[in-house]
Amino acid sequence: MTTTRRDALKAVAGSVALASLSIEGALAQAGGKFVYANNSPYDNLDPHTIFDTARAASRFNLYDGLYRWVDNPPKMIPWLAESHTVSDDGKVYTFKLRQNAKFHDGKPLTSADVVYSIERILALKKGPASLYLDSIKPGSTQAPDPHTVVFNLNGPSAIFLTTVPDILVVNSALVKANEKDGDWGEAWLTRNEAGSGSYALRRHDPAVGFTARRFAEHFAGWTGQPFDDLEFRTVLETNTRVLGLIRGDFQGADGYLPYDQIQRLRQSSNVQIIEQESMRVFILALNCTKPPMNNPNFRRALAYAFDYDGFIKSIMKDSVSRNPGPNPNNIWGTPAGLKGYSYNLDKAREELKKVTEPLRPITINALAGFSESEQAATLFQSTLRQIGVEVVVEVSPWSLVSTRMRKPDTQADIVPLWKSTYYVDPNNWVGELYGTRYHGTRTFSYYSNPEFDKRLDRALVSSSQEERRQLYEEMTQMVNDDAAGIFVYNTRWYGPYSSKVEGIRFSPVSNGQDIRWASLKR
Amino acid sequence: MNWLSMVANRLLWFVPTLVGLLAIVFVLSRVIPVDPAVLAAGENASAAQVQQVRERFGFDKPLPVQFVNYLRDVAQGNLGTSLFTQQPIVDDLASRLPATLELTIFAVLIAGLIGIPLGVLCGLHRNSWIDHVLRVVTVSGLAVASFWLAMQFQFLFSMKLGWLPLSGRIEGFPPEPVTGLMLVDAMIEGDREMIGSAFRHIILPTLTLALPAAATVVRFTRNGVIGVINSPSVAYQTAMGLPRRLIVWKYVLRMALTATVTQLGLIFGILLAGAVVVETVFDWPGLGAYAVRSILQSDYNAVMGFTLCTGALFVLINLLVDMLQAAIDPRGAA
Repeated sequence: MTTTRRDALKAVAGSVALASLSIEGALAQAGGKFVYANNSPYDNLDPHTIFDTARAASRFNLYDGLYRWVDNPPKMIPWLAESHTVSDDGKVYTFKLRQNAKFHDGKPLTSADVVYSIERILALKKGPASLYLDSIKPGSTQAPDPHTVVFNLNGPSAIFLTTVPDILVVNSALVKANEKDGDWGEAWLTRNEAGSGSYALRRHDPAVGFTARRFAEHFAGWTGQPFDDLEFRTVLETNTRVLGLIRGDFQGADGYLPYDQIQRLRQSSNVQIIEQESMRVFILALNCTKPPMNNPNFRRALAYAFDYDGFIKSIMKDSVSRNPGPNPNNIWGTPAGLKGYSYNLDKAREELKKVTEPLRPITINALAGFSESEQAATLFQSTLRQIGVEVVVEVSPWSLVSTRMRKPDTQADIVPLWKSTYYVDPNNWVGELYGTRYHGTRTFSYYSNPEFDKRLDRALVSSSQEERRQLYEEMTQMVNDDAAGIFVYNTRWYGPYSSKVEGIRFSPVSNGQDIRWASLKR
Repeated sequence: MNWLSMVANRLLWFVPTLVGLLAIVFVLSRVIPVDPAVLAAGENASAAQVQQVRERFGFDKPLPVQFVNYLRDVAQGNLGTSLFTQQPIVDDLASRLPATLELTIFAVLIAGLIGIPLGVLCGLHRNSWIDHVLRVVTVSGLAVASFWLAMQFQFLFSMKLGWLPLSGRIEGFPPEPVTGLMLVDAMIEGDREMIGSAFRHIILPTLTLALPAAATVVRFTRNGVIGVINSPSVAYQTAMGLPRRLIVWKYVLRMALTATVTQLGLIFGILLAGAVVVETVFDWPGLGAYAVRSILQSDYNAVMGFTLCTGALFVLINLLVDMLQAAIDPRGAA
């Protein structure tokens, strides 16, 4: 059976009906305040310049997109748009907007605001812009009527729809009124808000965080007893976040706390841990360009030399799930039964014998402040020594690592790090990590394989879900066979929340920070 | 006249000192092989996006040109824009400096209030059991890590006893600042509840900063008192039959405090720049956390702005200390 774009459209239409039903109901009652302690700063509220999952709170509580990712595994539900159609050539996406959506200042949200928002994203070239710069030309998006938006893509794009939730819509009149020297209102929107989201900004202090009040007129309506006020605070010290949860000062905190802190929180009756398999994969990124790293035999030797079970069981205390490929376990695109590599030093030595290039010390650049990255580097160093590969471990802050990653000749041989979820499609992982087209931007490997690229090119334009599945499975298999990376685990998300809170809907995209669904237990 | 020329002399060195400081930080920050444009553009940014950020902030120009441009802007009161907050650095610093100042001023006051009387006590009762006990306590105070002390305070006073808040500057989200000094703002508002809340919140971070500083003050005051108490002038005053209390609190303390005042000035500067650990643990939104984040993200303008701000404060405090010393002991101003 082939799933086409029309099938996808039907699925979306079905979701519309469900969503319409779910937003009906009794008016919400008074719901109290929700305080969330986060380890990332809320120093910038502009939805078109920040794009990290750690700071999803301001993007998804203050703003709305055409569609929205919810739950886990994530499903895309209609949001500002009720439906969409796609032209037969796959280049024109037409969205029908809801009639009842309005901004926090009461102005109706129209297609002109959507057009302004995508033009702003393209002009600022920050945050989510890289998702659209290749596929949408500035000035090409149209608003034929107040509730219809037409995206004219440069060419067919199989992933465009999955990136639509990241087009968060700003109040064009309000932002234009605050533009200065052609800055698209960037300086203003950093500290202010122009959204239609479930909550409206009340106060923002970049050193502290922000507070927001529930927007009673939000198009999705309200049921139950949602929180009336949100307070998102930056609390850098893990111990303070944990103690604050136990004391009841905070009702929620980031879900990637060290596991010993999770265990500590489990002992408190004031705290509940919501556990989900996330889509954040931990990999040892291999720079495939420098000899002997460019030799698949050497890379396979490396892949056999990492003690996956030892790392997951002894160091991570079984708090994560083994993930043998580049894609998270809970998404399609990985061939059934892909086992990946296992710790086997004999096989590693066999592969090493096939390497003709002279060996040299290998550099592992771990991320400072991320204990798992540093521990993986140290563990790998010890096992690689056993097969005669010398390793130099460097620990650097992300600022240095990411700068080095921009060029293959400056990137370290191995970097232990995570790949997060920006859109829910295998392209977010295997495509971006290993496609030649992403060199210098989203790849960490500089792997280049014409056969892989041929399949990637096709997968990015195909409208057949079945064909795409097959293509991504083939790409995943290629990456596995070539040992283009060392794939270790898929993160489990342990969302710590007050035991008095219910209704948290975790999605890997919004990272458990989309609070409109949550409330206090009554 | 001597006093005035001392002040003029210090002020004359003010600008060259800051320019020198900026030059050192400028060179050091550029030596690190980090491209701030890469970080500011985001991890998914294309090469074109990175280049655009680089050009916008002038990072594509030669280093000497960048430095001269920076000095020109600083002279006009423009410290540039933060790569990450997108706000003028002046605004970023202005919003965070009061929190750090409030914490530091309180810590120095507490350190002085605890340290000076105890130092006098130790000096007057040299080698007594009081002196021995306080010496052990002060050495311990100097050795203890503020990170550890902060957490112990949190465990004891916030978690076990529940007497004091765990973190933050006030209950709930801070209101719009007037001066930025929370206690002062609360007093301006005339809100008793807010005053109480601000006071309760500042106790633990202040104590964490003040106790090790108080240990230093005790030691300097003790040494000062011992030095003065054995001097011929005190022997003369004693022989003249002046009451001991008068000798100690009017003559001995005045002379002994010269070194302590210098030390308090230095402590103020050290605490100002080094409060980052306490600010982090107590979620105190001051300059420390901003500086650390700016350094980690290579937010050049922010790093330079922070350096300029703390450097200027440090120089001013030292000037103040010199003036205070001259007032205590006019011979020093010569």
